[in-house]
Amino acid sequence: MKMREPKKHYDVLVVGGGIAGQETALNLANLGYKVALVEKDYSIGGKMILLSKVFPTLDCAACITTPKVSETARHPNIDVFTYSEVEGIYKQEKGFRFTLRQKPRYVTEDCTGCQLCEQVCPVVVEDEYQYGLVGRKAIFIPHSIANPRIAAIDIEHCTFCGLCENVCPPKCIDFTQQERVDQVYATAVVLATGYKLFDPTIIRRYGYGKYKNVVTAMQMERQLVPTRPFNNILRPGDGKVPDNIAYVLCTGSRDVTVGNPICSQVCCMYSTKQAQLLMGALPMADVTLYYINIRAFGKGFCEFYQQARAMGVGYVKGKVGRIWEKGNGNLVLRYEDIETGEVAEAEHDLVVLSIGILPNKDYQKLFKNVKVDQDPYSYVKQIDELTSPARTSVDGVFVAGTASGPMDIPDTILSAGAASSETASYLCKVYKEIQPSLS
Amino acid sequence: MNDIKPKILVFSTEKISDPAIDLAGLLKMYYPATVYTITVPCSSSIKPRWIMHAFDAGFDGVFIAADGTDCPYSENCTENTSNIVKQTQDLMRQKAMDTARLKMAAICSVCSEAFVRQIKTFYDYLINQKQNENA
Amino acid sequence: MKIGVYICHCGSNIADHVDIEKVRETIGQQKDVFLVKDVMFACSDSSQKEMVEDIQSQGLDAIVVASCSPKLHLPTFREVARRAGLNPYKYIQVNIREQCSWAHSNDHKGATDKAIKLIEAGIEKAKRSEALEPIKIDAINAVAVVGAGIAGLRAAIELADMGTDVYLIEREYFIGGRITQWDELFTTNQTGREIITKLYHQLISYKNITLFTGAEIVETSGSVGNMEIKVRIKPRYVKPDCVFDMDKFEKAIEVCPVEVEDEFNFGLTKRKAIYKNYPGEFPEVPAIDHDHCTRCGECLKVCEGIDLEQKEEFINLNVGAILLATGFDPYEPKEGEYGYGQVPNVITLQQFKRLIELCPDELVYAGRKIHNIAYIYCVGSRQQNGPNRYCSRYCCTAAMHTALLVKQKYGDIRNFHFTRGIRTYGKQEHIYHEALEQGDVVFQSFNDPLCEVGEHNGTAVVKINDFLTRGKPMELEADLVVLITGMVPRKNNTIAQLLKVPVGRDHFFNEVHLKLRPVETVIDGVFISGASQGPKNIMESVNSALAAASKANNLVKKGFISIEPTIAFVDADKCQWCDKCAQVCPFDAFEQVDYNGKQVARVITSLCKGCGMCLPVCPEDALQLHNYTDRQIEAMIEDLAKAK
Repeated sequence: MKMREPKKHYDVLVVGGGIAGQETALNLANLGYKVALVEKDYSIGGKMILLSKVFPTLDCAACITTPKVSETARHPNIDVFTYSEVEGIYKQEKGFRFTLRQKPRYVTEDCTGCQLCEQVCPVVVEDEYQYGLVGRKAIFIPHSIANPRIAAIDIEHCTFCGLCENVCPPKCIDFTQQERVDQVYATAVVLATGYKLFDPTIIRRYGYGKYKNVVTAMQMERQLVPTRPFNNILRPGDGKVPDNIAYVLCTGSRDVTVGNPICSQVCCMYSTKQAQLLMGALPMADVTLYYINIRAFGKGFCEFYQQARAMGVGYVKGKVGRIWEKGNGNLVLRYEDIETGEVAEAEHDLVVLSIGILPNKDYQKLFKNVKVDQDPYSYVKQIDELTSPARTSVDGVFVAGTASGPMDIPDTILSAGAASSETASYLCKVYKEIQPSLS
Repeated sequence: MNDIKPKILVFSTEKISDPAIDLAGLLKMYYPATVYTITVPCSSSIKPRWIMHAFDAGFDGVFIAADGTDCPYSENCTENTSNIVKQTQDLMRQKAMDTARLKMAAICSVCSEAFVRQIKTFYDYLINQKQNENA
Repeated sequence: MKIGVYICHCGSNIADHVDIEKVRETIGQQKDVFLVKDVMFACSDSSQKEMVEDIQSQGLDAIVVASCSPKLHLPTFREVARRAGLNPYKYIQVNIREQCSWAHSNDHKGATDKAIKLIEAGIEKAKRSEALEPIKIDAINAVAVVGAGIAGLRAAIELADMGTDVYLIEREYFIGGRITQWDELFTTNQTGREIITKLYHQLISYKNITLFTGAEIVETSGSVGNMEIKVRIKPRYVKPDCVFDMDKFEKAIEVCPVEVEDEFNFGLTKRKAIYKNYPGEFPEVPAIDHDHCTRCGECLKVCEGIDLEQKEEFINLNVGAILLATGFDPYEPKEGEYGYGQVPNVITLQQFKRLIELCPDELVYAGRKIHNIAYIYCVGSRQQNGPNRYCSRYCCTAAMHTALLVKQKYGDIRNFHFTRGIRTYGKQEHIYHEALEQGDVVFQSFNDPLCEVGEHNGTAVVKINDFLTRGKPMELEADLVVLITGMVPRKNNTIAQLLKVPVGRDHFFNEVHLKLRPVETVIDGVFISGASQGPKNIMESVNSALAAASKANNLVKKGFISIEPTIAFVDADKCQWCDKCAQVCPFDAFEQVDYNGKQVARVITSLCKGCGMCLPVCPEDALQLHNYTDRQIEAMIEDLAKAK
């Protein structure tokens, strides 16, 4: 993609192009402010664009995300920089100076997304957008609804064989592309840097990474999306269609031993949702959730949880202690069954770990001469949590979405709404001081 | 006699009853596939001539999914819609038609169960009528 | 005529139940259908691009997209048409998901046939569609914020900051709402009053905020952009300029002989007819409760600031939008529900919070020193047999937080929690941890009711079959039973009734879409925030209030609003001016004008909302609605009725 020439000055820099960043950018852009939206990934849309359906309404995630993604990408007041990074934000008397680094995709913007290059590329590596369920090529389109829907070359794995160059109809492969670095100014900054997923390999007794039929909920999510890689639900070990699936809740949440004592706020509900979707996709399958407490607290959540129970989803109160594999690839879960008070064992043919969410600490490295305070769990600290939830310790820096703590999609949208509102108020005040005639 | 599939035209309203019918789909509350919806802004905006046109064109039944007291436009909506039904029924009587082929019920924006129940009852009624005609 | 048709798979949502291939083939044979395509996601950026290209390169006259409910993507595809240079009203959306593939996923053939018919009808509508231009109307850059609780106050300040005039209308004599009744708050341990004091001082520093207390909207008219509201202001019977003479007011309160139950303290104490709920309350001037005042005149003798002659006032305001922050009511347990009102020492969480504040040194209720406290959760929430199926969200954390506080404040307290499973979600988890660490005991049950509250020798006894210990029956003698009552929608919400704000299955205000438009309602220009749309804690309420402020500001700030051109129009040749349309129109959108020497009706475009109520009443059939014309509707009917 041709590197975009940034403006010298923006009203707002939004770091992160997930749903929080987009919502904030759109709100501010609609008020007439110029926004730079910087996303480190190849596509905007964050993690939500990768989801199947969303609780509690079971709307398809793509149907809700893609229009906002398009609106963001097209908005005349928003400049989107994908596969780009923000560095060295320097707070000045009025506003911020920062370095915008646009990294080369080695494919120009003429790419039509025809995917011919993908077909000829001989290199296969693990596909991070499918959470390793399948492979991708060294030249690839991140996923089917990516925006921009333009290929990129994973230069670390590319062998420079040149096959893609030969086959590309608009001749848009360009190995000479260089990164572009600009110094840019913004009056305010919004941190919408999102979260990271818990890596369950840390909990060795669950055997993730060792037993093939232990997967994460994100891997299951990718199997449930309409554009799913297998067009069916399969267990990775042998490709068998599972008929007795277990969910291990609070994997990496509410667990001091892994350093994350808090609740991730979404896992109970996404597991309940996946269970409902699985019952639809595999009518004969049994689905059991092993849980500590079911946190169905939001609007329509409790009703959704009751609906899952009525559909026959099994809920077992008990923490899973250990998982081991049998010869046939099935898994045995040892858990404390609270109802009977005894340690019990159960066999399942697929185990889904409902992994929690962790802070994305990248924001801590962004600033040069100021420090954005963090809360005890390393999320961005909300310095006036109750009455100005988007404010951070740095004047002019605001936070939106899960950068400040775990939250679900509806809460993220509201938090982004709050961030846009507080940023707009801040801009009004600053510009009034600078140019009283404009106010 | 299961091959009798009466056709029903539903007039639904953009803001109130159409969301309920959408919700019925979302919740997989099945109803016959020969039920078709035309959306209008408000149930008080349906012209009797449209309803008569539907019967002439071959619909077995017409169902008005009315805004009722939830109408965002006017509190007189129920009364206005009832007037439309009365006027149309007069026209139907003139043509010696069964006035029960036109049905109206208020469907609130989350009344998907009520909608499906009403439609099924109406559908069964129309099947019965058709069977009687055929017999 | 060239029509383009796009059939969306919606991933598998449509394609799993509708034979897309068959639909595409059948539609392709239709007259005037120039191209027909099926797409994985019609709403995706690449599909949108494709449509724009098709419209431009093929010179399409109209497009039809068969996908989901128009509620989701009608604006998306209208925008596609606009970008391609096609009039947005030359686009027709056909709902083959909610009303076809999902509703008939048990009948694939039926669903496929229906999809074909619906699309054909859409094509018929598209053929007869007219190019329409949006109507611009003036918008007043002012918003009425209803309710001066935490949500309303924050929304008001934010709107003012962004340059919008605000009328903040509070029904009570004092501002602050529910959080003033709540001393220390999770998770910051600020008190409700500290927060309200801070916000009040901010509020009064804005020239563009006007605060009305004791005020209620009694009439609304007009529509988005220019809504006229009539506000009734109850007399306070106290002169506003006497605020500096507080000693005299204290005296007046002292001499007032009338004592009534203090609602602020949920009946735990009494107050006078002239009162303030607490000393630092805002506005600072006390108020006289007219319903209970006996006009004895005792207060007049000690304080000249009192004026019993004050009359009710009515003020008319014009605003561009209304933001509702009307809050919630705490659930009021029924007589006998967990012993409430029957067993001694059973109170609600709200009363308990007041009690803690009223007991500075030792916790005493009804003459009894409190040691053992039983907290019964989910009272009025998560009902299996009652109407409130929902979770009230804030209460688990609030209860745990309160349990921590009482222990800190009074020391000698033992807390016992009777729960359905604790929901201290997110970072609030640490409060639950702390409670456990300090020795609180947690029981759990899935039964409804979850425990029984009885009485033994004047002491409350709570019995539960505890799930956490294999259903073992447990019994506890409690000095105090605290019912953790949830949130219910506000009673007597006049403004909601006036505006006809839609409510959801839980009876709270309903947003258009939880994720896409969470603070907007189906009524243009009416926004919702805070606990009025469902249980929320303070931070969540403020988030939604600020989000609503940003949307409201965005709507009115530009000074004009574009509205839908799908309004009524008159065939002046047919019209004989009989006045029937004007009588039935809820918006006074008709005027009588001269046309070729006769009197006819004309639609006032800025007032017409396009409801179409006038259509059936016209004896001459001279009225039609744009986008729903007779030709369009009748052609659709004919097509749907056609045998296959």
